[in-house]
Amino acid sequence: MNEPIIKVQNLKKYFPITKGFMIKKHVGDVKAVDDISFEVYRKETFALVGESGCGKTTAARTMLRLIDPTEGKIEILGQDISNYNRTQLLPFRRKMQIVFQNPIGSLNPRMTIGQILTEPLLFHKIVETKQEAYDKAIELLRMVGLKPYHMDRYPHQFSGGQKQRIAIARALSVDPEILFLDEPTSALDVSVQAQIINLFLKFQEELNLTYIFISHDLSLVRFISNKVAVMYLGRIVEIGDVDEVFENPVHPYTKALLSASPIPDPKIEKQRKRIILTGGVPSPIARPSGCFFHPRCPFKTEKCEKEYPKMYKISENHQVSCYLVEKEGV
Amino acid sequence: MEPILSVRNLSTWFYMEEGVVKAVNDVNFDLHENEVVGIVGETGSGKSVTVRSIMRLIHKPGKIVSGKIIYRGRGKEEDILSLPDDEMTKIRGKEISMVFQDPLTSLNPLYTIGDQLMETIIQHQNVDRKTAWEIGVEMLKKVQIPEAEKRMMAYPFEFSGGMRQRAVIAIALSCNPKVLIADEPTTALDVTIQAQILDLMRDLQKEFKTGMLFITHDLGVIASMADRIIVMYGGRQMEVASAEDIFYNPLHPYTHMLLRAIPRLDKKQDKLEAIPGQPPRMIEVPDVCPFAPRCPRRLDKCSKELPELAEMEPGHYVRCFNPVVESEKSEAITNE
Ligand SMILES: Nc1ncnc2c1ncn2[C@@H]1O[C@H](COP(=O)(O)OP(=O)(O)OP(=O)(O)O)[C@@H](O)[C@H]1O
Ligand SMILES: Nc1ncnc2c1ncn2[C@@H]1O[C@H](COP(=O)(O)OP(=O)(O)O)[C@@H](O)[C@H]1O
Ligand code: SF4
Ligand code: SF4
Ligand SMILES: [Mg+2]
Ligand SMILES: [Mg+2]
Repeated sequence: MNEPIIKVQNLKKYFPITKGFMIKKHVGDVKAVDDISFEVYRKETFALVGESGCGKTTAARTMLRLIDPTEGKIEILGQDISNYNRTQLLPFRRKMQIVFQNPIGSLNPRMTIGQILTEPLLFHKIVETKQEAYDKAIELLRMVGLKPYHMDRYPHQFSGGQKQRIAIARALSVDPEILFLDEPTSALDVSVQAQIINLFLKFQEELNLTYIFISHDLSLVRFISNKVAVMYLGRIVEIGDVDEVFENPVHPYTKALLSASPIPDPKIEKQRKRIILTGGVPSPIARPSGCFFHPRCPFKTEKCEKEYPKMYKISENHQVSCYLVEKEGV
Repeated sequence: MEPILSVRNLSTWFYMEEGVVKAVNDVNFDLHENEVVGIVGETGSGKSVTVRSIMRLIHKPGKIVSGKIIYRGRGKEEDILSLPDDEMTKIRGKEISMVFQDPLTSLNPLYTIGDQLMETIIQHQNVDRKTAWEIGVEMLKKVQIPEAEKRMMAYPFEFSGGMRQRAVIAIALSCNPKVLIADEPTTALDVTIQAQILDLMRDLQKEFKTGMLFITHDLGVIASMADRIIVMYGGRQMEVASAEDIFYNPLHPYTHMLLRAIPRLDKKQDKLEAIPGQPPRMIEVPDVCPFAPRCPRRLDKCSKELPELAEMEPGHYVRCFNPVVESEKSEAITNE
């Protein structure tokens, strides 16, 4: 429990912006992920939240080494995999799996469920014979609440929730230790969302899984995760224990996100004081000077426009990057 | 006072190759001036088809198979469903306006925001271009688009998603309609932008005393917007009551379970109570309780007959043979 299973240090992922057709000129970068650091321990659920385009998916894809990092370290189970090549990465492909938002796009429409589930088992040599693969696939289907006769069906014959169960079964087939869940329920109806979330909780308990959970839904994040990192334009602006961050948010952006998240309770909703942010999310290509949040921040001072604030430690489990900490000595 | 809009026994079906999709069945409700009625329900429960029927935007293979939609905004009672087409064009955009989930479906990419605003204004109000321009600028200011004069000349692609939805709201409200229908107007937006748009819609609805039909699948959003709520499932109204009754005193098993299946931002919960099974397929459904296959309170009768939407408490309507009663409710709420 004392060694982190994931350790991300100063991770950056820049996408070059080029101009010109024949001769491509590098004219700038989309700084999708820009110097993020955090640690995740076994059996924890670590959530990444923030508005569309803030870099959540890019952070996950870089950690999975589906794309190459621009800079920084990714330590998984004690090994720095940031420069590993394909062969070196192979064992990690098993240890880390991903479940996407859109179950339709992530399952091959021409393969039966049986083929979808047995293929990774044989590829990673988790089983030796086709028969063993078949048996294990049936076992996986049972675990996610589906039936053996589903083996011969195709993805389009299933509902959204069932497809997500199949995607989970496939992810679990290779006995992973870490699951990346990128908005895994946002395409599902609420009545079905709860089924899938409960499955995740059950498997975490039974299989000691560690989750990286990406979501726009802060209520869901509060329910499922232990720790949360709030991202804004590629950087983490507040990070810590989920209850502490959600009950005592310090960064004005975190406060705004929380106050904008609706609560299913009409009395509370009608009395709530909201921080309504003016303006939209700036582009990661032309980020504001100083603290990136300053054009939308109701508390900005002159200093905020000049220099990016460092991470201040508020408690053992809570850090925030905002000058208000200095002023108020929170 | 009489409601501005009354929907009576509305049924809209789609005649598909696979069979008849009974998207909306026997829907009844009233909307008053200065009132917000919310419609919640899962994907496919019939929310959009209900409001598209009100606007007469149902096309083949769809058909409004029965019902009346009484509009009382023009000094008399008119059944929208039996108006001639040219009368309907006078109602759409002037008397009843609609805002959709994706602002790009209601904006033409080839015209400036100003052109589109002025087109609506000139079509429905007896004004010249100069006055229409001035009204347009006023409307953009009302929806808090900065530099309104300059923005009149911008094209939709020059706007962010949130700004586009503001522009659509400006167009929808430009002729001061008595009824505004908003079909998931913020579903495609980030929460901070959603909060801005909801705030704006609440303010403008109060200012203009508009009757608003607000559709969403998000129980948090509906709690912040609606005075009364219709809960739909499988193409039917399951429960209709004040927002407070729906949230604090739900009588229908589906509403009751739905509220326990969603996580809450303001509470540490240790479990979510999932509803087993899946939402129904809508093809060739028999006239029985649509929730029966998933309902823990099911009686024999539930899969044989269709319960009526009955008034169980004053103003509180429920379609169920075995509704959740008071004593059972307190036991269930102990999940802190
Ligand atoms: N392959 C790519 N090439 C160029 N830019 C990219 C690429 N992938 C992502 N980006 C940019 O990087 C930024 C972060 O994108 P990312 O997909 O990580 O956001 P996100 O936080 O997951 O957003 P969402 O909530 O919408 O899923 C965005 O500005 C995006 O346009
Ligand atoms: N144009 C159409 N053609 C065929 N079926 C349709 C059409 N529009 C809606 N439906 C069906 O009607 C039902 C209700 O749909 P809708 O009102 O759009 O649901 P929602 O509550 O998600 O808005 C669904 O089963 C849907 O598939
Ligand atoms: S550093 Fe300044 S601008 Fe940035 S969030 Fe804090 S107060 Fe606002
Ligand atoms: S009518 Fe029967 S099946 Fe339907 S909701 Fe009521 S108790 Fe459940
Ligand atoms: Mg993403
Ligand atoms: Mg809809």
